[in-house]
Amino acid sequence: MILSDQEVQFFVTTIKNASQYDFSEYSEKSLKRRLQKILLDTNLDLLGLINKIKTSKDFLEQTVKDITVNTTELFRDPQIWQTLKYRILPKFSENKNINIWHAGCSTGQEVYSMMILLNELDLLDKAKIFASDINTDALDAAKKGVYKYRFNIGYLDNFDKVIKENPFNYDEYNDVPYSKYFKIDKVSDSILMNDFLKKKPIFRQHDLVKGENLYFAKFDLILCRNVIIYFKYSLQNKVFKLFHDHLYTNGYLVLGMHETMLGEIASRFDKKGQAYRKK
Amino acid sequence: MYKAVVIGGSAGSFQVITRILNSLPKNFPLPVLLSLHRLKHVRSGFVEALSIKSAIEVVEPSDKDTIKPGKAYLAPSNYHMYIELNKKIALSTEEPVNHSRPSIDLTFETAAQAYRDKIVGIILSGANRDGAYGLQKLKQLGGLAIVQDPNECQVKTMTEASLKMTQVDHIFTTQQIINFLQSLK
Repeated sequence: MILSDQEVQFFVTTIKNASQYDFSEYSEKSLKRRLQKILLDTNLDLLGLINKIKTSKDFLEQTVKDITVNTTELFRDPQIWQTLKYRILPKFSENKNINIWHAGCSTGQEVYSMMILLNELDLLDKAKIFASDINTDALDAAKKGVYKYRFNIGYLDNFDKVIKENPFNYDEYNDVPYSKYFKIDKVSDSILMNDFLKKKPIFRQHDLVKGENLYFAKFDLILCRNVIIYFKYSLQNKVFKLFHDHLYTNGYLVLGMHETMLGEIASRFDKKGQAYRKK
Repeated sequence: MYKAVVIGGSAGSFQVITRILNSLPKNFPLPVLLSLHRLKHVRSGFVEALSIKSAIEVVEPSDKDTIKPGKAYLAPSNYHMYIELNKKIALSTEEPVNHSRPSIDLTFETAAQAYRDKIVGIILSGANRDGAYGLQKLKQLGGLAIVQDPNECQVKTMTEASLKMTQVDHIFTTQQIINFLQSLK
């Protein structure tokens, strides 16, 4: 089914009127594609979908979840994690506390990646980990910390690259066992995060569109990766402003591999790769 | 007359794509949009390899980059690459489509919607069926559909799947594809 832009707009308006969710500043292509997939999966036409959204709160919530579902990986893009390991996190080693916000954490793989890295750097104890997402199903998965094993076999390669190897010194090899952080259960095809990691983060539902900081805290580091690609330029800038307001000076914002900050707000950061340091 | 070229390839397409890029003049008048599958663990170094002898610049774009002529845009590893109607790049980490991310179908379909009858779509060697649906869409919206001659492909599956779904405009060898692109003004 091919939807017109007007039909997508109709959907956005319906959601906006019936709930607190606002997709009007989401990128058209992804939004349209996800909406088409929902229609296909539910076997409804657009009017049928709209009617169901208006009459069932549960169905509306489910639709919002289907729109906002996102994929993530353990140590996705190892080079960024190497940057965090060797260049960014050591700067905070003298801090009394390190506040870290994973904004749009989805199913939590990067939250666990960060905690594993912090633990290897002996910084986990003084870190406060905040993790938020709009999608409560994703948050529930993040809290459980259980991931498919075979499908995600690449997680282990990424772990080795970031935790065991040193890209600047090939002679160095830290043989950290996976079991220090998670259990691999091949029978149930699962990777299960250890309890001491699972109980650490403060998970909260949060909609970046609303532009508020629900933790009432300031941060040394904010990770927001592969989230703003779903937002239009105007909303991106609003979100960057929010991050800027709630970073400490010299705090860092880390974006996805192919996300860029543009416009006036960019002048308030020093950019190195995907890491933006607040001036 | 054409405003963009979109190329999809998978197994066996790397040398073809390299030959094509190396043959394009520095002032090639169109953007080249590349959606190529790669091995999951060979994530970096690809753009550098393609750039070595290419006269036109090859980049892995950022989200929202504006598409410019005379530049090749390689869908970044592990992202889908869409073309927005305002000729900007949109990236996404949505689920793989037919086990592929980037999905050639998605790049072709959205590029076709953005450029309508002003686009040339080329499907190269590959071991799965990705791209067949996208090329069909491109043809339906008035674009020019070209498929690499299956007899020349290292792996024919992708080109044959495309030929089955679409009455294409040309079945070309690599050299014919190069000649055709060089003739575009």
